[in-house]
Amino acid sequence: MSLVYAILDFAAVKWLFLVLALVMPLASLLTWAERRQSAMMQDRLGPNRANIGPIKLKGILHFVADALKMIFKEDFIPANVHKGLFALAPVLALAPVLIAFAIIPFGPTIFPHQIREFLDPVQLATDPGAPAFADAIRMQIFSIDFGLIFYFAVLTVANYGGTIAGWASYNKWALLGGLRSSSQMMSYEVAMGLSLMPIFLAFGTLEPGALVAAQGALPWNWGLLSWSQFPGAIAVLGAAAMIFTCLLFFTAAIAETKRAPFDIPEGEPEIIGYFVEYSGIRWGMFFLAEFIEIVFISSVITTVFFGGWQVPFLDADGFRTSGFVFPLPHGIVVLLQFLAFGAKVVLLSMFQLLVRWTLPRFRVDQLMNLGWKILLPFALANIMAVALIKLIAMALTGT
Amino acid sequence: MSATHDDHGHAHGDHGGGGGPVVLGTSDRHPRVRTIQVVRPQDEDTTFLVAAAKGLGITIKHFARNLFLPLRKAAARSKAGAPTDDTWHNEIETVQYPEEKVTYPERFRGLHRLMLRDDGAVRCVACMCCPTVCPAHCITIIPEESDNNGIEKRPAVFEIDELRCVVCGLCVEACPCDAIRMDTGEHARPVEDPLVAIETKESMMARGIRSIARQGGEGPNWREHEPGSPSDAKHRNDADH
Repeated sequence: MSLVYAILDFAAVKWLFLVLALVMPLASLLTWAERRQSAMMQDRLGPNRANIGPIKLKGILHFVADALKMIFKEDFIPANVHKGLFALAPVLALAPVLIAFAIIPFGPTIFPHQIREFLDPVQLATDPGAPAFADAIRMQIFSIDFGLIFYFAVLTVANYGGTIAGWASYNKWALLGGLRSSSQMMSYEVAMGLSLMPIFLAFGTLEPGALVAAQGALPWNWGLLSWSQFPGAIAVLGAAAMIFTCLLFFTAAIAETKRAPFDIPEGEPEIIGYFVEYSGIRWGMFFLAEFIEIVFISSVITTVFFGGWQVPFLDADGFRTSGFVFPLPHGIVVLLQFLAFGAKVVLLSMFQLLVRWTLPRFRVDQLMNLGWKILLPFALANIMAVALIKLIAMALTGT
Repeated sequence: MSATHDDHGHAHGDHGGGGGPVVLGTSDRHPRVRTIQVVRPQDEDTTFLVAAAKGLGITIKHFARNLFLPLRKAAARSKAGAPTDDTWHNEIETVQYPEEKVTYPERFRGLHRLMLRDDGAVRCVACMCCPTVCPAHCITIIPEESDNNGIEKRPAVFEIDELRCVVCGLCVEACPCDAIRMDTGEHARPVEDPLVAIETKESMMARGIRSIARQGGEGPNWREHEPGSPSDAKHRNDADH
């Protein structure tokens, strides 16, 4: 039996579970949700017709139709493209995003022997080596101290996909798109990295699993309000700084997904973008990579700012507020926490769609201005401010 | 700018107001060169963040309203400008076409129809006005002798090629008898075989209704006023064949 648990704890198995259970369904659904949500925002109905016989599901099946269409479409390769790089680019765009999911803690640690029991958090804290807690399955594929830095590094590689696609296409517009893609990546990667530093200052770690554990089940301890245990002014200033941090990171992250209002590499009205020569499922891979990036950004923001898989007031042994305990078996707790993570990710993804369909796109120079002259200085100032808050807080509490 | 300004009379500082820009001064040399007050955008609109939040608020409002409130009744949506007293509906304007159809205005020109007499016979007297006026040459009429003694002719064949028809409505204008109309409110249907798009006398009569107009071309028996007898006329007709 413990062999089964060992297999379940194997990184590739967890990765498959994550990709098949969360990432792919959500990314595919987002392709439908984007059209449907934008339609509803513009007082239209959107795609609601695709069906298998009488099953319509409000048009959710459109993503199946889209996928089938892209797979069976002609895979046209223009005469002068660099064939190897042309074929490699979509993979380079898609793979890093899937790899980056390795750092996301998408659920609590599961103790298989305790599924039907009420977990004892005290025993877990004092004696984690007890036989009851053996064969634990950790719902995070890759737990490393430099977790968030790993994410920056890997997602940078995803940008090579766009750049190489532009270079290999032998097309001026595609090349322009590829260049824009890399310049945008360079401009916003800096601001993005710096905008997460306050989290490091607040929690002292960049390991996403540890971040979620440190945030705990109480919503006022989550990343956005992580200074609330300090008195008065510190808590207010801290909250303001953290909300500002979240805003900065969110802006830079949306820029990284290369979607409107930051869709300069694609630039639909001007240059169609780095995938102008692609068709069929190769183009579909770029498309899917974009949507998976949305899911990934939502996962990161959930993990860092919104408590990850934590459900408000739900401890490992049940709901718990001051003087009120509602015990739940370990299995139910785990299920609720999975669902909470999924719900937070879905809501944040929907918010990204909302942003994409509300704000007008930037010009290239406006984009560079925003990145270098606004986001970067503000991110630096924010680090200073949070460091100052931390210094005062440490002085006050005498640590 | 070579215009010189005089600084009199720019005391009224309220801009907007609908009557064009506020004139601060007029040039001495040329009365049409004026200094006007430029209305700059408000601060809240120039800072991107506030404007973005405002915009997000608007789109969220629309999205939530369309997501959670029930659909307006199809009839209310398909009629342009139809009054909807019930405020608890969403704002979706989409008309789901094959199931719901927009009510066309009364003057909409659709498929042709041939109007009927009180006894159900075709009203057309084959006067050939409509094929003459038709700019697309899509009307074919072959007349025959009517068996009604008050009427000289009727169409034996009346065909309209709806693929050639440009829906100009001149045939309806030209008709002296109110025999052809385009007020069916139906589109020409999509067809796979072009021959199917040709409307025949029977198909257009099937859409026909009785006209309340006085029948033109109907009068006393024309055969009695002819120099020859009715049998003479019949003989002539036979000789044509």
